[in-house]
Amino acid sequence: MTNFTAAWETEWLLCLRSTIVRIATALLVFVIPAGAIGAVALSRSGTTATVTTAKFAPYASGPLAETHVLVAAQVMSVALLMAGGFAMAWTFGQEVASGLAGARTGMATSRAGVALAKVLVHLTWLTGCVIAVVGLTVTASALVCAVTGVPFDDGAWSRAGLALVAGLLSAGLTIPFGWVATVTRSPLGTIGVLIGVVVVTQLVTALGGGAWFPYAAPSLWTEMGGPEAAAAVGLPHLLLAAAVMPAGAIAVVHAWRRLDDL
Amino acid sequence: MTAALELDRVSHSFRTRGALDDFSIVVHPGEVVAMIGFNGAGKTTAMRVLAGRLRPSHGTARLLGRDPHDVSGRNARRFGHLIDAPLAHPDLTVTENVRSAARLHGLDRATAAGATTAVIGQLALEPWADARSAALSQGNRQRLGIACATVHSPEAIVLDEPTSALDPRGVVVVRDLIRASAASGAAILVSSHHLDEVSRVADRIVVVHGGRVVGALEPGSTDLERRFFELVHDADTRTPDPERAS
Repeated sequence: MTNFTAAWETEWLLCLRSTIVRIATALLVFVIPAGAIGAVALSRSGTTATVTTAKFAPYASGPLAETHVLVAAQVMSVALLMAGGFAMAWTFGQEVASGLAGARTGMATSRAGVALAKVLVHLTWLTGCVIAVVGLTVTASALVCAVTGVPFDDGAWSRAGLALVAGLLSAGLTIPFGWVATVTRSPLGTIGVLIGVVVVTQLVTALGGGAWFPYAAPSLWTEMGGPEAAAAVGLPHLLLAAAVMPAGAIAVVHAWRRLDDL
Repeated sequence: MTAALELDRVSHSFRTRGALDDFSIVVHPGEVVAMIGFNGAGKTTAMRVLAGRLRPSHGTARLLGRDPHDVSGRNARRFGHLIDAPLAHPDLTVTENVRSAARLHGLDRATAAGATTAVIGQLALEPWADARSAALSQGNRQRLGIACATVHSPEAIVLDEPTSALDPRGVVVVRDLIRASAASGAAILVSSHHLDEVSRVADRIVVVHGGRVVGALEPGSTDLERRFFELVHDADTRTPDPERAS
């Protein structure tokens, strides 16, 4: 792919300027750590039992710092899929729908090169978000432990490793939505598919087939469905989830190379 | 002389609607050819085939001697086009868009910076250099699109109605850019609805009707409008309208 550097520079600039990316970054990086700390605090606050506190009951016990990081990992595995899916719908779908993809035809930088640059910039952005979320959660948890006099348990570091891996897997799961946006030529249609995937994931998980469904495996691994469901997720399931990213990248690059009637 | 832009007996239909019917045109280096015709005559479709944005069902397209779908690298560096949407992202400023276009067209960073400044000046876009393109008027967005298509001084240029939204000053600016590019040896294909405008800028005017070239007009000659309608009427008289026939 000729002139890939130019495509990379352009896509980075577009990423920095994107309203969707800015909003998603702020929500991911600040709301997830704060939400994790808050959810654990609520579950351990001793307030009168309500529907809300009942939902947070699993967070009421266990080492404090470990629980903070685990909750962040659970929320991030879903939030990243939504934020990344929206961003893929925008970065690929908007250009095809608006005709900008057609203007990229016949350039020294091929459309395939542009598509690959979009994928790599997207993954780099989401990787940065994952690292920031985990880092801020660990930092906030350490502060809470220091203030409350609770020891910062070493188990939090292994949970941080789990959160990083689960987050990166979730980031990779967003790549196929670039292909969806390209073939449908519709950002909104892609959002519809994203919502559909989330619904299907919930159904598959409820029916007990979640570990083998790539879009469910990372969340289950973070104990979203409980410790037993997490224990059923092994290396083969995680590798299958990891394979979605390169498959999606190949599909979207090929689709952009073959675009016609622009 | 080898044609820089060529369509040879190209035909294409969109489902049941015919768009191009045995369409042929050539543009040589150093000449400006204008296509003129009604809305839906096939001008934009022909340009999309030339730019590699549409694969025709029949016929041959050549862009700098190559299949437009097979143009890359050095040859692509020599081509620029503006058809429908410009190569300009609404979130970027005018300068950022033009510089990105220059880089994507194959210029290195230093050359792209100089070319960006030059073309922004050439198209009188300096007052809006730091404005986001989403905030521009339609006319200025069109000038931005032309800037992005020509920043790299291409040798083959395709412009679809480049002056349609421009004020009189903008029309003169673009006309000067087209003539200067042709004087430098570029082959330029433009389309328009305005006979007097193409008469000022083109070396040849071809009349497009019903998806094919039906005749030519001499730039600068008198009574172009009457001659244009004669050609279109003769074409309609020669070939029954398929819609009316059915």
